[in-house]
Amino acid sequence: MATTMGGPRRSSEGRGGPGGGQQGGKKKFFYRRKRVCKFCVEKIEYIDFKDVKMLQQFIPERGKILPRRISGTCALHQRKLQNAIKRARIVALLPFTAD
Amino acid sequence: MRTYEVLFILSPQVPEEEAKTLVDEFKRIAETTGATLKNEEPWGRRRLAYPIHKSNEGLYHLFVFESASSLAELDRRMKNSDRVLRHIIVRTDEDQKRADKLAKRNPKKERVRPLPAGVTPAAVEAAPEPAAPADETPLA
Repeated sequence: MATTMGGPRRSSEGRGGPGGGQQGGKKKFFYRRKRVCKFCVEKIEYIDFKDVKMLQQFIPERGKILPRRISGTCALHQRKLQNAIKRARIVALLPFTAD
Repeated sequence: MRTYEVLFILSPQVPEEEAKTLVDEFKRIAETTGATLKNEEPWGRRRLAYPIHKSNEGLYHLFVFESASSLAELDRRMKNSDRVLRHIIVRTDEDQKRADKLAKRNPKKERVRPLPAGVTPAAVEAAPEPAAPADETPLA
């Protein structure tokens, strides 16, 4: 009984402060696959805007650029990838939007 | 010397004959401004990712030029031509140089896998790799 009482109280305290993460850390346990930068692994240094097949891996259904948080691409390569995708969009190799 | 990639899309309504002369003309314009053609790739008819001027297709053509100066004249001509749906001129030498430098610093090497005890590298080389296809992780 005492433990169940303690749980919600602690979370309500934590709502305002930095302790908010405690709730998630306690209850949910994520299995996170280790993400690695595709370009670092395959040693691709130059990202070509004409390589549609490769770029399409980073374009989900809506046509947006897949965020680094999901794809695991490193900052340097994400920036280059972003430029390549934007160039490809100009010449209609990739969509700006898709629905 | 700079390297430029020029990719442009001609309107699909342009007849084949005219497309050919247009391509030649663009080539000529670039060459008169001091560029030399290094590579040329006619991609042909391709579906556009989005409609441009109500057409869903376009004739793609790629040039790779080497030039000491910019391709401003070609850029202007392509911009003014109503036959060209889209064009893009990208300078690639600097990025390529940087990429080569990076590649030199960390050269592409075979992924090192720890060998099971008692297996010498020579024995692995001699034996065919049965695990190779299973190794490929599908990228969703």
